[in-house]
Amino acid sequence: MEHSKKPKYSSGDTKDSEDSVSVLNGHFDGIVKRPAVASQAAESGSHRATTSVMESWKEERTRSLEDNEMSLPSLAAAYTTILRGLGEDPERQGLLKTPWRAATAMQFFTKGYQEKIIDVLNDAIFDEDHDEMVIVKDIDMFSMCEHHLVPIFGRVHIGYLPNKRVLGLSKLARIVEIYSRRLQVQERLTKQIAVAITEALQPTGVGVVVEATHMCMVMRGVQKMNSKTVTSTMLGVFREDPKTRDEFLTLIRS
Amino acid sequence: MNSHCNVKVGEAAVEEFHCNNGFGDLIIDTKKSAVAHRKHETSRKEAEDESNLPALEAAYTSILRHLGEDTDREGLLRTPLRAAKAIQFLTKGYHETIDDILNNAIFDEDHDEMVIVKDIDVFSLCEHHLVPFFGKVHIGYIPNKKVVGLSKLARIVEIFSRRLQVQERLTKQIAVGISEALQPKGVAVVVEAAHMCMVMRGVQKMNSRTVTSTMLGIYLEDPKTREEFLALAMRN
Repeated sequence: MEHSKKPKYSSGDTKDSEDSVSVLNGHFDGIVKRPAVASQAAESGSHRATTSVMESWKEERTRSLEDNEMSLPSLAAAYTTILRGLGEDPERQGLLKTPWRAATAMQFFTKGYQEKIIDVLNDAIFDEDHDEMVIVKDIDMFSMCEHHLVPIFGRVHIGYLPNKRVLGLSKLARIVEIYSRRLQVQERLTKQIAVAITEALQPTGVGVVVEATHMCMVMRGVQKMNSKTVTSTMLGVFREDPKTRDEFLTLIRS
Repeated sequence: MNSHCNVKVGEAAVEEFHCNNGFGDLIIDTKKSAVAHRKHETSRKEAEDESNLPALEAAYTSILRHLGEDTDREGLLRTPLRAAKAIQFLTKGYHETIDDILNNAIFDEDHDEMVIVKDIDVFSLCEHHLVPFFGKVHIGYIPNKKVVGLSKLARIVEIFSRRLQVQERLTKQIAVGISEALQPKGVAVVVEAAHMCMVMRGVQKMNSRTVTSTMLGIYLEDPKTREEFLALAMRN
């Protein structure tokens, strides 16, 4: 595991990306065809300022299956400490194997770090003379809040306008999986999904809406049972043309 | 003989069974031992929480590192502290005992009809995966001259649910807790929950729900009483 390498999968500078997008007035060209414009990629650490935008979706895995195996004992030890610190008895029958189960579960919840978009997408891009909206909605999404390590779950709705290239439909759901199975912030998740689709297909436009319930708000803190958080990212013609956006939002609502 | 056990059932055999306020000794003892690890009640004092934080924080930092994350990035800087406090909150049931919250809210009331408090939101942590499960609790009881403040039923749910739990045990603990505090003629508890350990991982069945119930006293003896409770509580 390379701790020395700055991770590429997470971004602290969502705000920068926001500015760049608004500066370009949402012109899709600016996002895709000008690699010199730095920090457009959603997942950029500080060292990636000079990396081409087109490279971001070919990011490296920061974790492998071997890493998982090797980290398991330390994770289990950490969970045992947590159980003790909570006043529980790690020796009682129900908790005997909990550190291992919890560690494996947490690795599953962050398996997005093990996967690359390029692996998931490479074969499923097809040339198709279609230029009408394609929507995949009600994709169940499960993520982990990076601030409290508590689950987030909800639905993702994705729409895009192809530009001679369409994507296998399940691949949209797989993109959601890669980015959601991480320690996330909902705003960043939404943008990462949109940018990944953009970079893979160069479509005319992409719209992503995520509505989710945050357990950190429901189970603790303010404890508002029924609250939902909705975030969206509109790129290309979805951003420029209100009618297209309307059509998308209407279709995902029905 | 047992004027206080005057229940509306009518069969002699059942009436005889109704010594001791409608609970056979055997039944309550079995159920009590089944919910033992009583030693965990107040195994944690609230005052100790602060002193436990550093160890929990260190554990969470270690977890973040071993998951491949960068603990120095902005979003994760204070996550170990937040996560430690969050999980302490989610297990605050260990601080509390029934006596603490109930002592003043038991009232003498000549009422012997069913009292139901339903749709109590419940949030707990699966003790096997440390992942939340949540849902609703429906509680019914038939008072025996003593009624309890309604919110106290929800507070009893909170005490037992804010722990590392197994849904079966949670249901039983709530029922036994109420029966010991009030000695009512019967207690019924139904818990319906979604387990994130089944939804987010493993089999990944989004819509599955687990339903468990505990019936004590007259709810156990008399099918009609049980039916009445289920009809009223589970009605949508």
